Amino acid sequence: MWRTSAPSLLALALAASGLAAQAPTAQDSVLSRQLKARPADSLGRLAVPEAAGRAVRPVTPRDNAALVVALERKIRCTCGCNQDVYTCRTTDFTCTTSPAMHQLVLARLDSGMTEAQVLDAFQKQYGEMVLMSPPKRGFNLVIYVLPIVGLGVGLGLVVGVVKRWATASPPAPPEDAAAPEAGTATPEEIEQLKRALEKFEA
Amino acid sequence: MTELGNIALWIALLIGLWGSAVAFMAGRTRRADLGRSAERSIFAMWGLLVIASAALMHALLTHDFNVEFVAAYTSRNLPVVYTWSAFYAGQKGSLLLWALVVTSFGSIALLTNRGKYKDLTPYVAGTIAVIAVFFIATMVFAANPFERLGFTPPDGRGLNPQLQNPGMVFHPPMLYLGYTSISIPFAFAVAALVSGKLDTGWLHAIRRWTLLSWLFLSCGIILGMWWAYVELGWGGYWAWDPVENASFLPWLTMTAFLHSVMIQEKRGMLKKWNIALVVGSFLLSIFGTFLTRSGVISSVHSFSQSNVGYFFLVALVLFAVSGFGLLWWRWPMLKAEVQLESMVSREAAFLYNNMILILIALVVFVLTLWPIISEAVRGTKVTVGPPVFDLVNVKLGLLLLLLTGIGPLIAWRRASLANLRRQFLWPTAAMLVTALALAAIRMSYAYAVVAYALGAFVTVTVVQEFVRGVGARHRLHGEALPLAFVRLVGRNRRRYGGYVVHLGIVMLFAAFAGLAFKKETEVTLKPGQSVDVRSPYGWTYHLTHQGISQYSELNRFVTAASMDVTKDGKYLGTMKAEKRQYLDSMGQPTAEPATEVAIRSDAREDLYIVFAGAVQGTEQAVYKIVINPLVWWVWYGGMVLAFGGLITLWPTAQGPTPASRRRAEPAGYVAHVGA
Repeated sequence: MWRTSAPSLLALALAASGLAAQAPTAQDSVLSRQLKARPADSLGRLAVPEAAGRAVRPVTPRDNAALVVALERKIRCTCGCNQDVYTCRTTDFTCTTSPAMHQLVLARLDSGMTEAQVLDAFQKQYGEMVLMSPPKRGFNLVIYVLPIVGLGVGLGLVVGVVKRWATASPPAPPEDAAAPEAGTATPEEIEQLKRALEKFEA
Repeated sequence: MTELGNIALWIALLIGLWGSAVAFMAGRTRRADLGRSAERSIFAMWGLLVIASAALMHALLTHDFNVEFVAAYTSRNLPVVYTWSAFYAGQKGSLLLWALVVTSFGSIALLTNRGKYKDLTPYVAGTIAVIAVFFIATMVFAANPFERLGFTPPDGRGLNPQLQNPGMVFHPPMLYLGYTSISIPFAFAVAALVSGKLDTGWLHAIRRWTLLSWLFLSCGIILGMWWAYVELGWGGYWAWDPVENASFLPWLTMTAFLHSVMIQEKRGMLKKWNIALVVGSFLLSIFGTFLTRSGVISSVHSFSQSNVGYFFLVALVLFAVSGFGLLWWRWPMLKAEVQLESMVSREAAFLYNNMILILIALVVFVLTLWPIISEAVRGTKVTVGPPVFDLVNVKLGLLLLLLTGIGPLIAWRRASLANLRRQFLWPTAAMLVTALALAAIRMSYAYAVVAYALGAFVTVTVVQEFVRGVGARHRLHGEALPLAFVRLVGRNRRRYGGYVVHLGIVMLFAAFAGLAFKKETEVTLKPGQSVDVRSPYGWTYHLTHQGISQYSELNRFVTAASMDVTKDGKYLGTMKAEKRQYLDSMGQPTAEPATEVAIRSDAREDLYIVFAGAVQGTEQAVYKIVINPLVWWVWYGGMVLAFGGLITLWPTAQGPTPASRRRAEPAGYVAHVGA
């Protein structure tokens, strides 16, 4: 199963149906004119480089080092995207903040800082908000203990309620205690059950 | 035409106010004429909102850029399908859609229940009218879709490129349908509380609506995940974004309700809890909109923010106070008819299930709001990212998966040892064999092992139920096995539809566990250069960069980077990842180039390629390559889940169960007794 671009298929369908015909097409755009005037050359230079997004630099093995990626996953990009630095710099290619923060991570690691020191430095620079997980101390502890406390309280409530109800209500035989094991019913019982089921279904 | 739409909104507002007032008076005084007037008010509002919607659609399709909404979300060269979907791409249009859907569902609910639930109907009409009035008032006073500009721009700003995707055509309406259809159960709950008719009658009236709402929410969420996966380019489908969480919260509470309502119908228990869940689900649907539209927590989804957030905040408080206030008032009338007898029973299993679902909802709610809470308490804003959500929800989710297998098999009232042995022998064996097999192949992620083992447990419980049910019919009625299967499901749709939903849930969990094995890398390649990427399954993809091409297409200029792909030497084809520069009708770029990923998908894994950009304007390309195991299972798990929901929802001649019918008071429910 291949998918290169669903909207392209949609575009084809629209074009075939004539629905898109009313709108001016991109054929007359300033970029198309640029493409016609200066096609890609033998040196591999693109005719319209700005249409390929912000110019990027070649990726080095260092950019994808496990330590760098792990560290950047703990730091929030401050561009307002809500993503960590690694995700933002490898996803939102219009963002200039995350590449800069990536360079800062590399520089801090190069200066001999440990992972914890790098995180501390970012926290001092931008505040707690720069960390993808709030530090496990002080008021923030609430969110880390909430599930455990919630589970404990919930279980306590359910068990408490069941116990209170169980002592308040008269004992009843288990629902299936009187029922024979499967396969032990007599033919008469089977016939009786069949009639009951037919009556119920009717 | 837009003037007509504007006038229609104002008249709908006035009629809604009238309808709200007379509906509650009709309920109190039992005057049939007032009740009929209230009903007609809902129908009239619906008609007027249809006119308003047609007016807005006309403005969009005719490019009336003097209308601010049209200028803000469309352009002359926007494909027609997206001009149509721009109706709900912006806040003002989506409010109109909400109001339209609320009155549509309200009208259907009133028409289908004519002659039934006579004590409830006026209050149902009144509550629907109040909800619709709220949406219309928000439009009229804060976000009017027909607001005009002081000038007419030659072209509009166009639609956000990320919204120009087929997923965005279907995902928002599905979610809106899910959110708004919760209004009907809420209206019946309010009616039951106000009227004091608190037997299971109101539950019969809302059963389909709750299922429908749950189904729409499920489809909306899955479609949203698909859109995020194919459009946003980060290689995932769920990021615990506030708006994603906003849709997940009512889904959780509705799921809890769909389980706990069975206990009320069968055993007459959990009456207070069920009403609280319906009220809570409705409030969460309003909260979702508040979160989306207020911009209170920054989110990639808050494409449009304005002061409507304050309207929603006030409505949220008013609906919460009214809903829970009424529940408090009727508290003494909501005593259980029987009491729970054992902690090892289906009732108790459903209670545990509800507890986990609500705990997950509580945790997601608190974590979503934590940045605001922290800022309010400490004056320091913090970030709560996916690692925190995963830390908690993975464990709770696995507990829920376990209960998914236990709940349906355990006996009502009190399970005996014999029952437990008979029901759980094979599922437990399957779970242990799966765990051992995965340990033997050295699967390294403990949570993934647990998820697959529990998945096997639940799957065998479901298969066992089908096998036993079909076997019983085959023996009792002498039916051929396929016929026995069809009749088994056809005559017990709720039960077996529910089992199919559980299979869908297992597929989703299998997919989520697959994320543990995700691999991603970034490479820079010149044309002709290659890279090898090893799959978690052991094979190797060999990807060769073919070059970059540029061309025009529809309303965009495309820069496409192509890669030839082989898997262990076998040629698979060419994959093309793009940058799309969207253009306005003057041919000028509208925004930064957007990324369009290339995906090769099968049941085992997705090869996901992102064209990050060109190095210094040359054909040397930077790619992000992701191998995403089992993503296919999310989409197909979603389909199975929706299919199960449809089976459950499909009308049946039987109606409510006999036990549930006995719990509904005869007076006023003639139709059900006769059914």
